[in-house]
Amino acid sequence: MSVAVRARGVYKTYTDGDRRVPVLRGIDMDVAAGESVAIMGPSGSGKSTLLHLLGGLDRPDSPQEEETSLIEIGGQILGHHSERELAEFRNRTLGFIFQFHQLLPDFTALENVMIPGRIAGQDPREVYDQAKRLLAEVGLEDRLEHFPNQLSGGERQRVALSRALALEPPLLLADEPTGNLDPASGERVLEILLDLQARRGTTVLLVTHNPEIAGRCGRILQLESGVLHADRR
Amino acid sequence: MPKAPSQLLLRPWPLPVLLALRYLRSTRKDAYVSFLSTVAAAGIAVGVAALVLVLAALSGLHERLLGQILATTPQIEITLPASADPQEALLAVEGVDGISQAQRVLKGQGWVVYEGVPEAIQLVGFEGSLPPSFPGEGTRGAGLYVPRSLADRWLAEVGSKVQVVSPRPSLSPLGPRPRVRTVLLEGVFESSPVETFQRAALPLDMAEALLGREGRVIQASSSDAEEAVAVVPALQEVLPEGARVQTWKDLNRSLYFVLRLEKTLLFVAVGLIVVVAALALVVGLALVISSKRSEIGMLGAMGVSAPRLRSIFLWLGLSLSTLGLAAGCAIGALAAWLFDRFELLVVPGQVMFVDYIPFRVHAGDIWMVCGATAILVALCSLYAGHRAATLKPVEALRR
Ligand SMILES: Nc1ncnc2c1ncn2[C@@H]1O[C@H](COP(=O)(O)OP(=O)(O)O)[C@@H](O)[C@H]1O
Ligand SMILES: [Mg+2]
Repeated sequence: MSVAVRARGVYKTYTDGDRRVPVLRGIDMDVAAGESVAIMGPSGSGKSTLLHLLGGLDRPDSPQEEETSLIEIGGQILGHHSERELAEFRNRTLGFIFQFHQLLPDFTALENVMIPGRIAGQDPREVYDQAKRLLAEVGLEDRLEHFPNQLSGGERQRVALSRALALEPPLLLADEPTGNLDPASGERVLEILLDLQARRGTTVLLVTHNPEIAGRCGRILQLESGVLHADRR
Repeated sequence: MPKAPSQLLLRPWPLPVLLALRYLRSTRKDAYVSFLSTVAAAGIAVGVAALVLVLAALSGLHERLLGQILATTPQIEITLPASADPQEALLAVEGVDGISQAQRVLKGQGWVVYEGVPEAIQLVGFEGSLPPSFPGEGTRGAGLYVPRSLADRWLAEVGSKVQVVSPRPSLSPLGPRPRVRTVLLEGVFESSPVETFQRAALPLDMAEALLGREGRVIQASSSDAEEAVAVVPALQEVLPEGARVQTWKDLNRSLYFVLRLEKTLLFVAVGLIVVVAALALVVGLALVISSKRSEIGMLGAMGVSAPRLRSIFLWLGLSLSTLGLAAGCAIGALAAWLFDRFELLVVPGQVMFVDYIPFRVHAGDIWMVCGATAILVALCSLYAGHRAATLKPVEALRR
C-alpha cells in the first residue's frame, strides 16, 4: 500500500513578540493511502497547526543542523514547492474542511461546490454536473440554489464537505468538522464523510475532541506536548 | 425559489472576473461599501467630465488659433544660400510633386509713412501675384498692400499715396540718406489678431531697390497644410546645399510648445479630481477586503494563487469605476456639444481672437482621459488587492 502522508522531524514554533511558543516538537507520522486517522489532543496542543503544515498552508521551522525535516504528501515534498506550486498542490491534492464552514456567502451552495473546479480551470459544464452530483450524494439535491445564510449548520457543513471532495482529492484534511454542530447534525455529517471516504478510498485525517467519533476511524493518534503517539487505550 | 438560478459560474470567463462580478453585486448590500463606491464612481464621473470639457475647450481654441495662423503664414519657406541662383531654385521647387504654388520673396524691416505718420513694419517683396499668406479679396497684382487694420487707422484708401522707407542708407554728396519710394496703395489684406508683427507687401523689384538683394527666400504651398510637411524631404533633394526649408510647423514651433504645455498642465490639474476619487475607491476596496478576510483565506486554501487573488480586486475596482468613467465621458461630451452648438461661453468685445469659446471633442482626447483613468484605477485597485494577496491563508482562517 502506498504512503499518502509522511512526516519526519516537523517542528513549528510561533514567535509572539520575543516570546517563543514551541507547538510541534518533532512530528513523525506515516499514513497509508485510504486510511482514516483521527488526531486527538487537548485544545491548544497544535492539531490545527499540524493540519495547516500538512496542507501546505504554512511552512514548518527550517531544520537544525544534522537533522532532517520532511513533509511528503502523495509523493510530493512540500518543502520543494514554491508558493504557486503549493497553491496548485492544495487545489489538486487536498480537500479542506474546517470547524466553520468557510463557504463563500455571495455564492449559492451549488456555486460554492463549483469553485474548486473553476480554480482548476476545468470545463464549467462538467464542473456544474459534478457539483450537482456531489450535493445529491450528501442529500442536498433540493438546496442547490440556497445561499449559505439560508442553510442550517449541518447543511452548510455538508456543502463544505462536497466542496472539499469536488476534485476527488486523494487526501481530506478535516479540522473538527462537527465541532460546531448539534450532536444529531454532527452525526449525519460524519456518517456521510466516512461513507464517502470508504467508497472512494480517500485518505482522511480527522481532528476531533469526541472519542466516540475518533473510535470510528481506523486509527487514533494523540498529539501531546508537541509529539504524536499512537492511542494507548 | 422564484428567481432563475444564476448562470455566472457557467461562463467561460477567468475566475477572478467571475468573483469580482459577484462581489460587485453583493457590495451594494453593504451600506458603507456601497456608499464609498458611489462616492468614488461619482467622483470619477465628475473628474472625467471636467477633463473632457477642458480638453474640448482647449482643442477648440487651439484649432481656431492655428487656423488663423495658417492663413497668414506661408506653408513652406525656403531660405536660399547666398551662392544659389534664386530663379533656378524656384524652377526646381515648382517641379516637386505636391507643390502647388511657389514664388520668390524678399523680407526686411522698414517703415510705411502716410501723411507724415510712420509705422514700423516687415516689408515682404513678392514676385508675380500677392502670396497666399496675405489673405483678402480684391486685386492681387503687383503693388503695395498694407493690413486693413492699418489702412482703417490711417483713414487711407486704395490709391492713397504712401511712402516706403528703408533703414539701408544710400550715399549721396550730402552724406548717407534713407531710401524712400512713394507708391500708390494697391490694396489691403486681412491680418490676424495673433500676428506678432505687422507686414506690408510690395513688388520684388522695389523691395530689392530698398533692401538690397540679400536674404532671398522662396515661399511655397501645397494642397493642404499636412501635405506641405510631407513634401519637405523631396524639396531638400532638389535644392542646393545650404538651403533651409521650414514649414509652418517649424515657423510656429514655440507656439506649438506653449499650446501643448498648456494642455498637459490643465490635464494634470483637472485630473487631480480623478485621483481623489480613486483614493475613495481604494478605501472602498480595503473595506471589502477586510470584511472578506476569511473568504480570501479559504480561496487561498482551495488553491487560488496570490496574483489571482490580487486580480479579483483589480477587476472589482475596474468594474466599480467603469460606470463613473462612462457617465463622465457622456456628460463631458454632451456639455461640450451644447456649449459649442449654442455658443454659450461668450468672450466680451475684442479681448481675444474669438467671440465665443469653441469646443472640439477629439476621439484622441477621450481615449487619453479613459486610458489615464483606467491606469490610475488599475494601480489603486492593485494596491488595495495587494493587501488581499499578501494575506496568508492560515492567518485569515484563524479567528
Ligand atoms: N499565529 C500564531 N501566533 C502565536 N501563537 C499561535 C499562532 N497560531 C497558533 N498559536 C498557538 O499555537 C498553539 C496551537 O494552536 P492550534 O494548532 O490552533 O491548537 P489546536 O488546534 O490543537 O487547538 C496554541 O497555543 C495557539 O495559541
Ligand atoms: Mg484547532
